Amino acid sequence: MASFVRPALLRQTGLASASTRAFSTKLAAGVSHSKPAASVLSRQAVRSAFAKDALPSSMRVAAFHAGGRQQILPPLPQSIHGTVNDAAPVPPSDPSHGSYHWTFERLISASLIPLTIAPFASGSLNPMTDAILCGAILIHSHIGFEALVIDYIPSKRLPKIRLLFWWGLRAATVLVGVGLYEFETNDVGVTEAIKRIWTA
Amino acid sequence: MASLRTTSRLFASARPAFRTQMRTMASVSTPAAEPEPRTKTFHIYRWNPDEPTSKPHMQTYTLDLNKTGPMVLDALIRIKNELDPTLTFRRSCREGICGSCAMNINGTNTLACLCRIPTDTTQETKIYPLPHTYVVKDIVPDLTQFYKQYKSIKPYLQHSTPAPNGKEYLQSKEDRRKLDGLYECILCACCSTSCPSYWWNSEEYLGPAILLQSYRWLADSRDEKKEERKAALDNSMSLYRCHTILNCSRTCPKGLNPGLAIAEIKKELAF
Amino acid sequence: MLAQRATQQSLRRLAAGQPSMIAQYAMKKSFAPAAIGASIQTRPVATQKMTPESSYQILVEQRKHRPTSPHLAIYKPQIPWILSGLNRITGSVLSGGFYIFGSAYLVSPLFGWHLDSASMAAAFASWPVALKVLTKFAVAFPFTFHSINGVRHLVWDLGKAFKNDAVIKTGWAVVGLSVSSALALALY
Repeated sequence: MASFVRPALLRQTGLASASTRAFSTKLAAGVSHSKPAASVLSRQAVRSAFAKDALPSSMRVAAFHAGGRQQILPPLPQSIHGTVNDAAPVPPSDPSHGSYHWTFERLISASLIPLTIAPFASGSLNPMTDAILCGAILIHSHIGFEALVIDYIPSKRLPKIRLLFWWGLRAATVLVGVGLYEFETNDVGVTEAIKRIWTA
Repeated sequence: MASLRTTSRLFASARPAFRTQMRTMASVSTPAAEPEPRTKTFHIYRWNPDEPTSKPHMQTYTLDLNKTGPMVLDALIRIKNELDPTLTFRRSCREGICGSCAMNINGTNTLACLCRIPTDTTQETKIYPLPHTYVVKDIVPDLTQFYKQYKSIKPYLQHSTPAPNGKEYLQSKEDRRKLDGLYECILCACCSTSCPSYWWNSEEYLGPAILLQSYRWLADSRDEKKEERKAALDNSMSLYRCHTILNCSRTCPKGLNPGLAIAEIKKELAF
Repeated sequence: MLAQRATQQSLRRLAAGQPSMIAQYAMKKSFAPAAIGASIQTRPVATQKMTPESSYQILVEQRKHRPTSPHLAIYKPQIPWILSGLNRITGSVLSGGFYIFGSAYLVSPLFGWHLDSASMAAAFASWPVALKVLTKFAVAFPFTFHSINGVRHLVWDLGKAFKNDAVIKTGWAVVGLSVSSALALALY
């Protein structure tokens, strides 16, 4: 019988005898795989047969190091609501956090270009323009921090921490706004101050 | 039966002798007939769902490139056929139209069937599943969420008024041209899984592939539900988690530009 | 040759199935192809009836064990996402400094800090030159990078310069411009 077996099949039959599981559709001896645990065992046997006996030079197994350090917010175990045929929920339309917000953010960013170039061109700014620059930077910063909070603190997973940061950021922005108002009114203005420190 | 056995035995016994003869003849006439083997090392991500407690690991395989086809998919198929039948991956068309064999090869997402094996044998090739996806087995990711999101954008023509000629909805050549670079998308998920924003927020952010599809229907002159489509995107998560990182356009194996499609959606929503 | 192959295959199938069949087969001495129909293929696993709900529950259980594939650690460092990340980091550094200074200035009278421009300039003037240049560069680079890359982002928002080579070229241009202008500002 052995002479029937071609070299390509030889490997498979050898494996089958080692693991009592044939790769062909037929079972050699009367072994039944009714429980999943049994098939797990047999697959382990297949793998160990490969790792030790079959072609050891061309296959190596190495431990996988993707994140050696502790991850900050590791992904949760996968859970999916419904089947593939149920569409993902569509959130309600909310332009003030969507398109209006985006357009406003672009306008602020674009206005920062001339406001940033002006002090370089003219040395420093008059108090009014300086205050406008400070306000624009403050809004730009606030929106930027908001994006950080939305991106990295998912509201579904960490609702309390999300709220804490959301309102903490707003409080901080107000605080900084008042502080800048004080600085603008009591001191020489932000651009002039930076210039003085820079050339000190 | 007996006769059969003897013939086969004869055949089997005759074969090695014949082979050795051939070999000696070859060695006499051409001393170096076989080209120098070009051994290439592949590190492939492995994880077996039948051993759920075990951690994913990298398994190393070496192949002679002289005996392997030019594409990474050829190498994977050869590994599965000849070295390790337990290696699991998706593949179907082997010509870049089905999108099944999307995976991370040497750090970028692409289709294994369209990615040439780098011929530099000193460089080792690393193959991972699509980044930040749940792994079903080895390099097979679960794309259920991706397909659910695709379904959520209603990827079909929505048209309620009857066609003017009573037969079909016609489109001018200019209008048709607007769909070029959009309809070719094969939904392989290479772009979506290259997007860091999608990594962190795949629950709610649609991701580049689905947004490109979304724009494909927004840009279609025959579609009559534009306002509804726009309203569905107009919230803080679905569209605006895109921060123009542009990994999507860089990685698209079909040479499409999801980043541009998203920018066009943003423009349409803004003005 | 072909006939022999067919015989081999059917025999192999039979041998794998029921060894006793071979004895029968040998006794009958019939032709092999006639026996093919008799060998019914069976699977080495037993099947069991399952409702859609219970099979779905198995899937749910499997999903809980699935690992997440590696992402940031293995993705190839490329200009698009590296610069985008740098844009966010530099923006956070600048805005963070801005927020810290603004709030510190507000509470400075309570703690007696001197955060007015004159005393800060005087304090900075007393630093050694190398430290001054280094500090200036550390402040100037985030500023120049975020500003110039911000312009690049605004151009993208107009739907321009989206081709891959344009993204790469403008990316390297931003790197060059921001480093050189930051050096110029630091040495100013």
